[in-house]
Amino acid sequence: MKKVLLTLFPLITILLMAWGYHQAIYVAPDDAMQGYIFRIIYYHVPSATVAFLFFFVSLIGSIGYLAFRRNSPNRAQVADAWALAGAEVGVVFCTVVLTTGPLWGRRAWGIWWTWDARLTTTLVLWLIYVSYLLLRRFAAGPQMQTLAAVLGIFGALDVPIVYMSNRWWRTQHPAPVFGGDPGSGMKDPTMVNALLWNMLAWFCWGMLVLFLRYQVERRHQQYAAIEAQEALEASA
Amino acid sequence: MDERNILDHQFVAAAYTVTWVIQLGYLAFLGLKWRSEKRNAERKSRQPR
Amino acid sequence: MSSTLWTHLAKDLRIEWRSKDAINSMLFFAFLVVVLFSMSFDPRGSFAQQIAGGVLSVATMFASVSALNQAWAREIRHQVMDAQRMAPTSGAELFLAKVLANFFFVSIVQIALAPVFLVMYNLHAEGNAWLLILVLPLGTWALVANGTFFAALAIRSRNRELLLPLILFPIFLPALLGMVQATTNILTGESDPWLWIKMLTGYDIIFTTVSLLLFDVVFHAE
Repeated sequence: MKKVLLTLFPLITILLMAWGYHQAIYVAPDDAMQGYIFRIIYYHVPSATVAFLFFFVSLIGSIGYLAFRRNSPNRAQVADAWALAGAEVGVVFCTVVLTTGPLWGRRAWGIWWTWDARLTTTLVLWLIYVSYLLLRRFAAGPQMQTLAAVLGIFGALDVPIVYMSNRWWRTQHPAPVFGGDPGSGMKDPTMVNALLWNMLAWFCWGMLVLFLRYQVERRHQQYAAIEAQEALEASA
Repeated sequence: MDERNILDHQFVAAAYTVTWVIQLGYLAFLGLKWRSEKRNAERKSRQPR
Repeated sequence: MSSTLWTHLAKDLRIEWRSKDAINSMLFFAFLVVVLFSMSFDPRGSFAQQIAGGVLSVATMFASVSALNQAWAREIRHQVMDAQRMAPTSGAELFLAKVLANFFFVSIVQIALAPVFLVMYNLHAEGNAWLLILVLPLGTWALVANGTFFAALAIRSRNRELLLPLILFPIFLPALLGMVQATTNILTGESDPWLWIKMLTGYDIIFTTVSLLLFDVVFHAE
């Protein structure tokens, strides 16, 4: 049963992707105001949604690790694997957001970038989780997971503060609202449809990649545990 | 007006391409990581304990 | 102030007073940053008023990192950290003492830098200048509290000096924004700085509390 699911899910994901692409490029009409360039939204917004969702998964993982590390060490390792997977795949999707956004903005509003609340928050989020990944790479030893979990919590805490402070900043210095509300231009049902299909497709893709990353990390944890055990026995 | 449309098409194509390059590149990176973990596991199981 | 807190604090202050390592390097570095920015941006007239807040904040940031990097190094060098861990006192007091000490040092640097700024940028506050005495410490506290915490986090990593600014700066960004905006609003008199002062206060309270709660986790991470 599990094998069937394991081969079926990637297949379904690929089909959804193809269907979503078809919807985005051939079915949905040009936007009334922005024209053809609006189609970037069908990749940009789903990626942003998945990125934020996975960063949230990472936060839960970090909290879980800190909570479980004394009483249920195995559960703590599982939590840590989710924390890492969520952060890394989240960074991948966030990178997509930060590259497709400027491409959209350049054609639609004439500017590659602006420092409004949403863009700045996304950039800072990206920076925070990249720094999280760097900490995991550079920190040595068994404490690394604890330290990473703490940083994960700090980082997540910062996000709403960054968003609000930028909103305040922008009310003082009004600037072009980049992108506006994605729902505002979407009165055409075929456009909403296309967006929803691509949301589903990218969500499935994200889950696939997240699960893969989680599995790789679990294997790595088991290997590291055996190594540690052997080192302990060798020194005894 | 027409060259505006061509540029729009190019930018959309660029955005979609960049997305897939990033996603598939990451998938490839994951594949390599998976392979190295498998090799580690095989090495460990082969070692006499 | 609890006696443990005072002991830690007095120790740090005394060691620094004897060598004056941190303060001297911070002072010089901050001054260099100010000069570099001034050459890059050529502050004149009202433009100087507008960028002074940003330059001062960034100079403070870079100067603090150079001090924070070795904030815990002293402790590690002579196994003082291990002794601290075994002591029955809570890590939070050690942390708070370190933050207070570093806050004191950075504030000294800012006070020393102030006349330099006044002169080089021909500054005069259009708004209420006394508010600067509120704004600058709030921003500095945010920097030093988070910086001391992350310095402890990064202590066991290979690229400790590089890692600290990498993890500190993204999280510090909203406080930087608050500090710069409040200072600029005071100097240019354009708008009301109280919004930013309130935000800075909120930021300080939230992150100091979380740091105090989580410091023991980091300190005893094994």
